[in-house]
Amino acid sequence: MRRTVLSAMTLACTAVLASTAPAFADEASPVPSAPAAEATPAPRAEPTRGSARAVPVPREEPAQKRDRGQVAVVPEGAPDTGVTATSAGSGSGSEGALIGGGAAAVLAAGGAAVLVVRRRATGA
Amino acid sequence: MTPFSRRAFTAAAAASLLAGCGGHPAGRTTAAPSTGGRPPSSPSPAKAARPLGRSVPVRLLIPAIGVDTPVIRLGLAPDGRVQVPPVTAHDRAGWYRHSPTPGQVGPAVILGHVTVGSFGDGVFRHLTGLRRGDRVVARLENGTAAEFAVTAVRTVAKADFPADDVYGDVDRPELRLITCGGPRSGDGYLDNVIVFAALTSAGP
Repeated sequence: MRRTVLSAMTLACTAVLASTAPAFADEASPVPSAPAAEATPAPRAEPTRGSARAVPVPREEPAQKRDRGQVAVVPEGAPDTGVTATSAGSGSGSEGALIGGGAAAVLAAGGAAVLVVRRRATGA
Repeated sequence: MTPFSRRAFTAAAAASLLAGCGGHPAGRTTAAPSTGGRPPSSPSPAKAARPLGRSVPVRLLIPAIGVDTPVIRLGLAPDGRVQVPPVTAHDRAGWYRHSPTPGQVGPAVILGHVTVGSFGDGVFRHLTGLRRGDRVVARLENGTAAEFAVTAVRTVAKADFPADDVYGDVDRPELRLITCGGPRSGDGYLDNVIVFAALTSAGP
């Protein structure tokens, strides 16, 4: 009997662990996107090259380096225009993980209950 | 192994399998096969068109890949990078407001996501599917529309982002559409996909 209960618990734990790990991985979607529109028109001061005091100015320079071109302010680096985190393409990544995990947990719990009941019924 | 144990193992295996199927959709989708290296920019001149006056873009249409999206305005993020549209279910494109408006002489820059995390495809999901000559229409705030033809599609490593090709001065009205692509890395992508287009016509 005890063995049955233990095996049932093991079963449940296995299912829960297996389902939660990927779900956590999915949720971590640190979105690099700034909330869009009307951002600061770069209040970034000049590169402080003249000032004697070396006050650590947040790096500034590259964004301003090509002033007065057709693109007035050239951004730094490459744009981050893609957030993967979950399933790109299907549109239901985290939902899928949750559903899968939930179904697994339910299945495990049901299986464990059946085992326990049967064991009790047979007196094993 | 008793029949009960066997049953328990079978159930455990089934449960794990189920959980695994549900939890790994991220790994399933490999990034779009990044358009084979299109020839680098130097967009061959499409039919020249008269430049337009300044008017902010409000909508973008790319019939070849089924894009019809509102266009928001983007500026600079605090780290000096260009802002990108917010990650939402209804993904939109964004025009970089320090660039010319579409139809003005110079490179008008419009950005969009390739994917938006759990929301799925971004508005520029199929940008790599564009081919030379495909039509891109920017509808402007003043009611006119600037029509462009694709001249090149490039997939470049983010580490080697060609800022000069994208933001550098040009002698005619051009358009840059930018999204991400290539292999995934963490929660992002390693490459950028850049579409170069030149103005072909303008009108209401």
